[in-house]
Amino acid sequence: MEYKLKIPLQQHIGAPCKPVVSAGERVKKGQLIAAPEKLGANIHASLSGVVTAVTGEYIEIEPDKEQPEDYVPIKETSSMLEAIKEAGIVGMGGAGFPTHVKMDVDLQGGTVIANGVECEPLLSHNVRQMEQNPEIVYRGLKYAMQITNASRGYIAIKAKNKKAVEAMKSVIDDPRIEVREMPDIYPMGEERALVREILGQLLRPDQLPSAARAVISNVETLSRICEAVEKRKPVISKNVTVIGRLKSGRQARVFFDVPIGTPIAELIEKAGGFEGDFGEIIMGGPFTGKAVDLDCVVTKTTGGIIVTDPLPREKRKAGLLVCGCGANEARLREVAEKMGACVAGVERCKQVVDVKGGIKCENPGNCPGQAEKILKLKKMGADVLIVGTCSDCTNTVMGVAPKLKLPVYHHTDHVLRTVGHPLVRRLKK
Amino acid sequence: MSITPETANQHKNDPAVVCCLTHEGTIISPADLEDPAIFPDLEDSGLLTIPENVLTIGQVLGKKLIKTIDALTPITPDMIEGGLDQGEKPEVVEEAEMVQSGAAQTVTGAGNVIRIHIEEGKGINLEIPAIVTAAGTAEPAAKPVEGAQEAVKPRVEDRVRRTLLMREFEVKEVRLGDETSFENGVLTIRKGLVEDALKADPIAKKMEIDIITPDNKNVFTNTIMDVIPIATKVEGSLGEGVTHVMSGAVVILTGVDESGIQVHEFGSCEGIIGEKVRFGRPGCPDENDIMIRIHVTIQAGTGMERKGPYAAHKACDAVIQEIREVLKKKPASEAAREIEYKDVERIGRPRVVIVKEIMGQGAMHDNVILPKEPAGVLGGRPNVDLGNIPVVLSANEVRDGGIHALTCIGPASKENTRHYFREPLVNLVADDEEVNLVGVVFVGSPQVNEEKFYVSERLGALVEALGVDGAIVTTEGFGNNHIDFASHIEQIGKRGIPVVGVTYAAYQGQLIVGNKYMDAMVELNKDPNGMESEILGDNTLTKEDAVRALAMLKAKMAGAEIKPAPKKWDQSVIENNQKLVEKA
Ligand code: SF4
Repeated sequence: MEYKLKIPLQQHIGAPCKPVVSAGERVKKGQLIAAPEKLGANIHASLSGVVTAVTGEYIEIEPDKEQPEDYVPIKETSSMLEAIKEAGIVGMGGAGFPTHVKMDVDLQGGTVIANGVECEPLLSHNVRQMEQNPEIVYRGLKYAMQITNASRGYIAIKAKNKKAVEAMKSVIDDPRIEVREMPDIYPMGEERALVREILGQLLRPDQLPSAARAVISNVETLSRICEAVEKRKPVISKNVTVIGRLKSGRQARVFFDVPIGTPIAELIEKAGGFEGDFGEIIMGGPFTGKAVDLDCVVTKTTGGIIVTDPLPREKRKAGLLVCGCGANEARLREVAEKMGACVAGVERCKQVVDVKGGIKCENPGNCPGQAEKILKLKKMGADVLIVGTCSDCTNTVMGVAPKLKLPVYHHTDHVLRTVGHPLVRRLKK
Repeated sequence: MSITPETANQHKNDPAVVCCLTHEGTIISPADLEDPAIFPDLEDSGLLTIPENVLTIGQVLGKKLIKTIDALTPITPDMIEGGLDQGEKPEVVEEAEMVQSGAAQTVTGAGNVIRIHIEEGKGINLEIPAIVTAAGTAEPAAKPVEGAQEAVKPRVEDRVRRTLLMREFEVKEVRLGDETSFENGVLTIRKGLVEDALKADPIAKKMEIDIITPDNKNVFTNTIMDVIPIATKVEGSLGEGVTHVMSGAVVILTGVDESGIQVHEFGSCEGIIGEKVRFGRPGCPDENDIMIRIHVTIQAGTGMERKGPYAAHKACDAVIQEIREVLKKKPASEAAREIEYKDVERIGRPRVVIVKEIMGQGAMHDNVILPKEPAGVLGGRPNVDLGNIPVVLSANEVRDGGIHALTCIGPASKENTRHYFREPLVNLVADDEEVNLVGVVFVGSPQVNEEKFYVSERLGALVEALGVDGAIVTTEGFGNNHIDFASHIEQIGKRGIPVVGVTYAAYQGQLIVGNKYMDAMVELNKDPNGMESEILGDNTLTKEDAVRALAMLKAKMAGAEIKPAPKKWDQSVIENNQKLVEKA
C-alpha cells in the first residue's frame, strides 16, 4: 500500500479519544489504539502496520503490504451493550452519536426503527447493503430490540427502492417487525420525521426519539452491531458511496468496508480518478455534506464522497433561504461565494429554531410556506435566490419565485447536475 | 406561511389561501393557510389573485380538501368536501366590505376617559356603556362622551419641576461689517470672523458667510447640513433659567469639500434654495426668516467621514458663539416676546414618555447631546461616543436646544437642530394636561445589528424603570433605522406598555420589519406620491402629526383597538385620522 492511514481521534459526538499506542509501535488490525475519556467510542487500527505518528488529532499508521484476513476480536463481554461499546460503534448515518449510549435505554416495549431511508440524494451504500446483505441488518435490528427491550421493529425504506424493500421483507421471520415504505422527499430520514411518519407523533425539536419510546438506528450501524455481537468485530471500516465527476463515469460506486483512515484521494483514485476540473469535493450527502480538501480521510461517519462540476458563476445579488435540515447559513454563504454572488440578505425558513447552538426544523419536510420570506428577500434587493430548503419547501419556493422573476438555485444544484440527477425543484402533484 | 390558531381566529373573515402544496384529503388547519397580512404584497407581485367565490378562513377550518392544490391557491367551494353552506356567504361579504371601508380610520379616543366624581351619595347605581371596548367594530368607536371629560378636574396640584424663560429678540436686518453687534434689530457680523472661526478645526479649510433675505430665495445653495437657531444662555444651564433667542433669522450651514463634492453627497439637497426647503416646517427657516448662510469647505475626501462634517459644525458654531456673546447682553426690556416653558409633573395623570430615535453611526449620522449653549456644539457629547445608549432629557432641555443634529442624508425626513429646538411632539405632550410627560429619551441607531438590539434592550429596561403608562416612539429617515425602530416598539410593547410609532414610511420607505406591537403607527409622509424628496423638512414630524400620535396613544391607553391600516400606503388614512382627531 502506497498511502498511510490517518485515523482521527474524534469520529463521534463528544470529546476526542486518548491514544493508547505511541509512535514506532506495531499494531494489528482490530487492535484498540485510542479510548474515550468522556463521551465517545473506542477506536481501533483498521489495518496492521506501524504507528508513524500520534498527534492530538489523529494516529498515523503505515500499513503492512500484506494484510491478514482476520482481525483482533474485541474482548469477551457479558452483554451485547458492552460488546457495542467495545467495538466502538457510533451512528454511521452521519450523526456519530456513540451507539452504546443511545442503546442504553429501556424502551419498555417501545420501538426500534432501522433507518434505511438514505434520504440524501445520490448516496446508495445503505440501499445496496440491504439489497445484498439484508440478513445482517435484520439480525442487527433484532439485537437492538433485545437490548432496548422493544417490542416492535420497523425498517424504513423509500418506496422507490423496491429491490431493497423486497430483500428486507424476504428475511423477516418475526411478526413484530415490518418494512415501512416512505415517500421520496427530503428529509424523510431525519429522526423526528421518521417518528412522525411511523409512530404518528411529532416531537419538539429539542426532544429525542426516546420521548416517543423509540430508538432509531441507521442500517449500517445495525449491521455493525450484528458483527460485534456475532463476530466480535470492532468498527474498522465504513461503507462509502463515491460519485461524481470521475473518469469512470457518473454512476454511484459503492465501496464496502473501506478501512477507516483511508485518504479520500485514494478512494477517488480507486473509483476512477478525477475527470478534468472539478468544483467541490463534498463529504456526506448533497444536502448536509461539507466541502472538504483532498487530504481528508474516511471516518466512521463518512457516507459519501462527491466530486462536483465547477459551480456556475453568478454576478447578481443573491438572497439566501436557510433550512433547519439542509444547508445552514454558513454553507449557503460558502456556495454564494464560490459562485461569485454577493449576498443581499438571509432569511430562515419559518420552522427553523435554535436548539443548543445549532438549528433544527420544527416539523421536517412539512412546508410552512415560503412566500413571505421570498418577498422579504426580494425587498432586501435579491435578484436570485440560493435556497437550502427541503423538498416540500422548495416546491413552494418554485411556486413563488419564478413569478417574481427571481431565478432559483438550490444549494445542491451543482452536485446533482454533475451526475444528471433531477434537481431539487418542484414536486409533482 | 402557515399561521397560528390565534392568527386564524383574528382573520376568520379573510380569504383562505393555502400556503404550500396541500394534498387531497387534508383536513384544513391554520398550519395550511397563508397569513392574510401579506396578501396585498402577494397580490401586488402577481402571486395571488383572489376570486370572488373564495371561502373565508372561518369557513374552511376543519373542512376536508377534495383536490390537491398548489401553494397560494385560494380555497373555493369546489375544493371542499360537501361544498359550502351558501347561506353564510352574503353576510360575510358585507362584513368584509365594512372592515375595508373602515380600515382607513384609526380609532381615536381622545377624551374617552370617563371620570366620575362623587362627593357624597347613597344607593348610587351606575351603568356605564362599554364604549371603549366597542372599538374595532364597524361603528367608529370610542366617541368621546359629551362633556364627560370636563366633568371634574383632577384635584391634585401639578408640580413644576423647572422653568425656562425664553426671551425673543427680533432681527430685522443682517449685515456684514467690522464688528459684531446687535442694535435696534440690526445684526452685524464681523467679516474677519470667517478667518477666526476656522481655527475651531483644521479640517475646516474655508468659510463664506452671506445673507439671504426672504425676498431673494432664488439663489443657489450647496447641500444644507443644518438649520441652527441663534440662542444663548443668560442664566442657568440648559432647560432652566433664561435663554435669549433671535427671531426672524436663522443660520443655514452648507458644505462642500475641497474637491467640490457636496458634504453628505448621497441625498444632498443642493439647488435653488427657494425650491429646496419646505419653509415653515419645524426644522426649516420660516417664510420670512433671514437666512445667515455659513458655507464651509472641508478637507477633500472627508465629507463622508466623521471628522469632516463635525469640523464644519464646529467652525459654524464658532461664528454663532460670537453672535451669542452680543445677544447675551441684550436687556430684557428690548425683548419682543417672552415665552415660559415648564417641566411639569402632572400627578395622577398617565405617565407618558417620548422616545426619539436619532442617528448614531458617526459623521453626518450623529447628534451632539446637551451642548453648553442652546443648539451649540461645544460641551456636548456625540451620541455615537455614548454608545447610542438611551439618554433622558427633560422637555425643557429639548426645547432649550439640547440636541445639535449632524444629520443630513435624505434631508426630507431628517430632523435637524432647529427641529429639536421646536419639536412639535415634545411641545404638544408637555403642554397636554391629560398626560404626565416624564421625559424625552434619545436613543441612537447604531450601524451593526447586534448593537442595535443591545441598545434597544437597554431602552426597554429604561422605559420599564420609568413606570410609564404609554410611550410614543419616533424615528427620522427610513430603512436601516427601521430595524431599531421596530425593536424599540417591541421592547416597550412586550412589557405591556401601550406604544405608538411615528415615522416616515409611505410608499418608498415601507417598513421592512414589523412585529405585533406595531399596531398603532403615525405616518409622516406629506408627498402625494409617497416619495422621499430632496427637499429639506418635507416629511418630518409636524404639529398635525404630533396631534394624531398623541390621540392615538390616548386611545390605546384607554384600551381602544387600533384598526389596521391597509397594507399599501394610502394617504387618505392620514387625512381621515386627521379629521377624526380634529372632531374629537
Ligand atoms: S420546513 Fe423549513 S426548516 Fe424544515 S426541512 Fe423544510 S425548509 Fe427545512
